[in-house]
Amino acid sequence: MADEPKKLDRRDVLKGLSTLPALGLFGYAWQRQRTYQQARVTEVAAAAEAPAGLQVINVALLGAGAQGQVLTDSMLRITGLRVRAVCDIWTEYNQKRVVNSLKRFKHEPNAYEDYREMLDKEKELDAVVIATPDFWHAQHTIDCLKAGKHVYCEKEMSNTLEGARRMVAAQRETGKLLQIGHQRRSNPRYRHCYDKILREAHMLGRIVTVYGQWNRGVTPDLGAPDRYVVPQARLTQYGFKDMHQFRNWRWYKGKGGGPIVDLGSHQIDIYGWFLGTNPSHVMASGGNLYYDPKTHEWYDTVMAVYDYDTPLGPAKAYYSTQTTNGSQGYFENFMGDQGTLLISESEVNYAGQLYRDPNAPAWDEWIQKGYVSAPKEQETKAKSDSGAIADVRESVAPDQHTVPVTLRDPYHQPHLQNFFDAVRGKATLNCPAEEAYQTAVAVLKVNDAIEAKAPVAFTPGDFKV
Amino acid sequence: MERASPPGERAGESEGRSPSVEIDLRDVRRWSHEAMATVYEVYAVHADLTYAAQAAQAAFELLDRLERELSRFLPNSDITRINHLDAGASTRVAPSTLECLGIARHMFDLTGGAFDVSIGTGLASLELDHDESVVRATTRGVRIDLGGIGKGYAVDLMAELLEEWEVPMALVHGGFSSMLALEPPAARPGWPLTLSDPADPSRRLERLTVRQTALGASGVRKRDHIVDPRTGDPVRGRRAAWVTLPRPHGGAAAAVADALTTASMLLGPDEIDALCRNSPGLEAWILDDAGLLHFGEQKSGD
Repeated sequence: MADEPKKLDRRDVLKGLSTLPALGLFGYAWQRQRTYQQARVTEVAAAAEAPAGLQVINVALLGAGAQGQVLTDSMLRITGLRVRAVCDIWTEYNQKRVVNSLKRFKHEPNAYEDYREMLDKEKELDAVVIATPDFWHAQHTIDCLKAGKHVYCEKEMSNTLEGARRMVAAQRETGKLLQIGHQRRSNPRYRHCYDKILREAHMLGRIVTVYGQWNRGVTPDLGAPDRYVVPQARLTQYGFKDMHQFRNWRWYKGKGGGPIVDLGSHQIDIYGWFLGTNPSHVMASGGNLYYDPKTHEWYDTVMAVYDYDTPLGPAKAYYSTQTTNGSQGYFENFMGDQGTLLISESEVNYAGQLYRDPNAPAWDEWIQKGYVSAPKEQETKAKSDSGAIADVRESVAPDQHTVPVTLRDPYHQPHLQNFFDAVRGKATLNCPAEEAYQTAVAVLKVNDAIEAKAPVAFTPGDFKV
Repeated sequence: MERASPPGERAGESEGRSPSVEIDLRDVRRWSHEAMATVYEVYAVHADLTYAAQAAQAAFELLDRLERELSRFLPNSDITRINHLDAGASTRVAPSTLECLGIARHMFDLTGGAFDVSIGTGLASLELDHDESVVRATTRGVRIDLGGIGKGYAVDLMAELLEEWEVPMALVHGGFSSMLALEPPAARPGWPLTLSDPADPSRRLERLTVRQTALGASGVRKRDHIVDPRTGDPVRGRRAAWVTLPRPHGGAAAAVADALTTASMLLGPDEIDALCRNSPGLEAWILDDAGLLHFGEQKSGD
């Protein structure tokens, strides 16, 4: 009807109203009700309708907080999954919210407070997606692996290297898959940069320096609706001293690792991946400059410098995170002697810009192959006379290139898809436990270096389990 | 329809009331957050300001999620994926995306196409499957832009969240153009608001006192930013439009107000009058070179 502009007259408005007597102005309320009722009566069997031949994977979500909800949003867009169970100790709120949203998509998950009860009762589970606080990761992962489930566990692997080592050992012992949630490893733009721009085309030449950051503005501590507060006995049972710590565990020693772990881990993971090696040293400075140290035990501001001995020569990488000003957000900037790659997970800011040093070899081949966008203005050689060396003309701007890869799906979807493809035997994991362990070593040692006020040296053996 | 009185001459209005307004609005706290290319704010009165700040923060986090789903400027939003669908292809979207599209389609029907989030590219060719939370395109080339309804929809959901947190005395707005007044501060009949001439913000056209009411405003101070989806031409002549409507429990009143205010820039006075007469509680104002026109039964004014 809208292929050609429709001319409106009063009859259209009146007709619109008269043909919608049951709807009227507030028809949306009716629609809400209808959606809800239909979702309740629909057959469960239709939930995970997968294309013919695609193995349906039975999944449980362990940890239904903010990150668990982000992962759920992505899982709902992946075909061939059936979410059978949701486990969270905040039964009053987060557990209920996630179960309800899954029901709207016709999953019928059972709800659990205790993950051991879930593992006992849900015999058909193939995989568990874990998004609990870091200090629970090791135990949850190990118990799920030993129960015969494949595991996708959020980063950081664990709040301790000892816990992370036990996770790797349990993966080896059980032979089950363990993917860690460094989701940039499956992001098509990062993969393109790694495979094509760095490994095949060496467009940056030798990378000598790296700079990255994650800046976040001041936010109040997380709270909870008064009516949904978790009873103290349950908080104590699961290792939280009070509701504030339950909601803000990332800031507490023994629970999380602070912003360097929450934010920095994603990007320091890319440093090692793109440089092709682990760091040899780290020096770092950090402190609690702004927030109340009683409720923010970890550093709100961290600046770290890594040394790397890359296959092409030494490199230094700086990383900073601060939580008092969100200006310029987050990105990673790889600087080589022939070019620079500025990249971030965001599809909007720093989504992949390439700068070619004017003296670097031409990128024509890579432009033709589609590895990098064509510059806005083409080379200024005289096209009309092959004997001339240049054409005299108005001034030309330097080349600007971008990485021609866009992600259309939610940020975590490709990494989850990679995990479920691997469960079906159709892919290898992009971030298996051994790889993520190396990142955990590089990241968790930053807090050690800050405390020691001295550089920390790594040996190659530190990164092996 | 009535030709409204000039500003400051409404019966019963008195400038002398302003000081008392100032005094008991001092307890109102305000939190701001950038999203959807504007600034959203939560105003609230609450005994525990830390708690209220946490509730506001939770509302802003919800807003950021909605922007990730609804923005046509983000390459991986639900809306962008819909805008890239080939004929016969489909994509799964968040239930909130589907609900917002459902309201948009209802507003398209209600306004005879004057409100069209596809700006004439074929909203009707999208199939909205609420059961599967899937959007299917029957033709390619549909371009959805929720700019005329998404802000209001976000305001609706943020208000629901504040109520869930038991912060009932609150007002939420997105860029001042999509507003939802919940319960007013204690001992006040409503939240005091004004409508002003966009060409001269110091010229007040109307003063309103509202509670449990959604408000929308649209104007052409930014030149030609409203296009008539029926003709493709930018709107001229009309300078601003406002809509208020009561908020039913569980309803998306701010989304509806947002859509209707955009439509009110396009519809003729008779059409707006018909809409208001058929929709109890709906009020509208349009400002053109002849002055301010009011439609509907006067409820919101002082």
